[in-house]
Amino acid sequence: MTNFMLIRKNLFRHKLRASLMIVCILTAFAIFGVLGSIEHAINAGQDVAAADRLVVVNKINFTQPLPIAYFDRVRAIEGVQQVTHVNWFGGYYQDPKNSLIVMVVDPTTYMEVYGNELDISSAARQSFIRERTGALVGDAMAKKWGWKVGDHVPIASSIFTQKNGSSSWDFTVVGIFTGKKPEVDTNFMVFQYDYFNETRALGKDQIGWITLRTASPALNDRVARTIDQMFANSPYETATDTEKAFSKAFVAQFGNIALIVELVVGAAFVTILMIVGNTLMMSVRERTREIGVLKSLGFSGGRILRLVLGESILVALTGGLAGLGLAVLFILAIRDNVGGLLPKIILSPEIALLGLALMLGFGIVTGLVPALNAMRLRIAVALGRN
Amino acid sequence: MRSLLLQITAVTAMNLKSLPKRFWLSLSTVVAVALVVVVLLAFLAMQNGFQHTLDSAGAKDVAVILRGGSQSEVASVIARDQVRLIEEAPGIAKGSDGKPLVSAELYLVVDGIKHSSQTKANLPLRGIGQEGAAVRKGITITAGRMFAPGSNEIVVGKALLKEFDGLELGQTVTFGTGRWKVVGVFEAAGSVFESEIWADLPVVQSFFKRDNVFQTVRVRLVNPAALAGLQRYLDTDPRLKELEAKSEAAYFAEQASRTTDLIQKLGWPLAIAMAFGALAGALNTMYSSVAARTTEIATLRAIGFGGLPAFVGTLTESLLLALIGGVLGAAATFLTFNGLSAATLGASFTQVVFSFKLTPALAAEGVSLALIVGLVGGIFPSIRAARMPILAGLYGR
Repeated sequence: MTNFMLIRKNLFRHKLRASLMIVCILTAFAIFGVLGSIEHAINAGQDVAAADRLVVVNKINFTQPLPIAYFDRVRAIEGVQQVTHVNWFGGYYQDPKNSLIVMVVDPTTYMEVYGNELDISSAARQSFIRERTGALVGDAMAKKWGWKVGDHVPIASSIFTQKNGSSSWDFTVVGIFTGKKPEVDTNFMVFQYDYFNETRALGKDQIGWITLRTASPALNDRVARTIDQMFANSPYETATDTEKAFSKAFVAQFGNIALIVELVVGAAFVTILMIVGNTLMMSVRERTREIGVLKSLGFSGGRILRLVLGESILVALTGGLAGLGLAVLFILAIRDNVGGLLPKIILSPEIALLGLALMLGFGIVTGLVPALNAMRLRIAVALGRN
Repeated sequence: MRSLLLQITAVTAMNLKSLPKRFWLSLSTVVAVALVVVVLLAFLAMQNGFQHTLDSAGAKDVAVILRGGSQSEVASVIARDQVRLIEEAPGIAKGSDGKPLVSAELYLVVDGIKHSSQTKANLPLRGIGQEGAAVRKGITITAGRMFAPGSNEIVVGKALLKEFDGLELGQTVTFGTGRWKVVGVFEAAGSVFESEIWADLPVVQSFFKRDNVFQTVRVRLVNPAALAGLQRYLDTDPRLKELEAKSEAAYFAEQASRTTDLIQKLGWPLAIAMAFGALAGALNTMYSSVAARTTEIATLRAIGFGGLPAFVGTLTESLLLALIGGVLGAAATFLTFNGLSAATLGASFTQVVFSFKLTPALAAEGVSLALIVGLVGGIFPSIRAARMPILAGLYGR
């Protein structure tokens, strides 16, 4: 009879009790998996952001525009390698509830700056530069709405209007791009600035912000300072920061999401710690006499310790792995239905590993006291105790 | 009948008196249920607080006029000629000076430093017309004074002071190249306006290079029914055709629903998921309770007690544990979260400062969820207790 078999038999002797413990652990780890992944997705922008990418926004607030002339002036600064400009379109498809991430970009420079992140075929690149009303769509967005290359899609803006009074622009999908890494979010689309600028009713020749790459991250500070000094005391002062810091500040605007997640997951773990810990303690106490028998058969104290700890770790792993599995199924089910602005949710390997570590830690913490008690138990006491 | 009642009372009392023997396991159930209730109520209190902040801003007899299709003020554009035409619309209340209560406004987003994270966050800067404060109800300056027309002075909503740095009375604030002096703090009955900064409209227009651009027009109506007349007036004039009038109440209700829906969509499922965990704990505790009392229950049955008292006794124990957990959870939520100030990004893409608000009705929802856990967690062990075969019970298994 192997240790593992003993452990398994011990655990499932009370089938109901074992199942209840497993359900309890499963719930906590499912909550951990889902919330952890959502938080990770929200913060993904910071992780993906390249270290050498800077964002130049209007100092008043990033929703205030900058003049397009700034683009060329930034381009001329020493240490700046590639520059592009971007405008938030406030897009939605058919119904204002279907918010989409749509950005107005300068095609050639945009693909230069983001070329190492987005996989765009050369045919798509050429048509995007050539076709005035062309749009490049990320595969996540294309899949969600069933768009294919060649499709004509009208996208409305909740911010801008055309000169003809309409707030809807027509686009032709000229290409669908994918991310070069799995964590790159592709739930967005981009279209040509020239088309937008010629048709918009107000704010002609204004852009939203400038994104640039420096020759090396070491130059970031100097380049940022040069840019902000260049435009100081002008009607449009700028604030330049790394893309990472920028998206971090943006996420913080929604509130302390990390804290909320930690509190809820913490509450779930305290619950199982108490329930499972107490149940294990009780179930080992009930087996006092048996442990005495095992010891009199020659089982060492160490082996008894391993048996009881093995039981608590087995129950934690069974419940925990099932919980993470459930979290994956849940994420797959909700992924296409959550709001259009949330980036791609995946249960990342880091979360899975953290979960695994938590399961082991949890198994040890809940099993340690009963295991030590069982190890120290003296045969005479065990067999005598009733 | 009387004897049955006596039996039930006796068995229930025995059940409850034996609770200390299972102290730790019972405590873990109580704590598990309490934590479920805390999670649920914290989310509900958050949602309720946010809703309250937007609801109390919305008056039925104030109309907001925006460009049709704009979902928030930031996206709307109205021209000066249109503002002048709106001033002549029917159904608009007049101020004490005989002028119509109309305020054309410009709503801009500026940066503020959030106290909790020390990061930049979007603050609304509203340029309001001379009648701006009068159009709204319940606006009072609690410290300092109103801005002087034509000056670069601002008044700051009270709620902003809690969440943002550098907006205290007397401070100078820089937005871009413009420097503004904080000359007053205003209260607006806890509404979303308390999350705004107000300044004189023409000054804002010139500082931000938006001369002659307006985004919304707010008007005080003679009564709520006048809204229909106002919309008809807008529809019939071709120069105003693209404009849309909404009651302020409807406008804010729409804005609130997006955020509160999201909070609710998170709160309930999470609480229910956690409730399953607590339920497993409750079942465990109650099955152990029945198992521990096997001999006792069988003895009672042998001396003539029925199955029902055993059932009721066990169920009562379970419900009591859940009730204690529920009440503890509600009390803990009240003590830690009620009144807690928080700020999030609202539908206008600017920060809305609100306070968690736990009402007795919400607390009752939390306790109900706890009792459901107690009921379901108690009913199966209770059935087992009631059906326990006497002989097997007496032999201990």
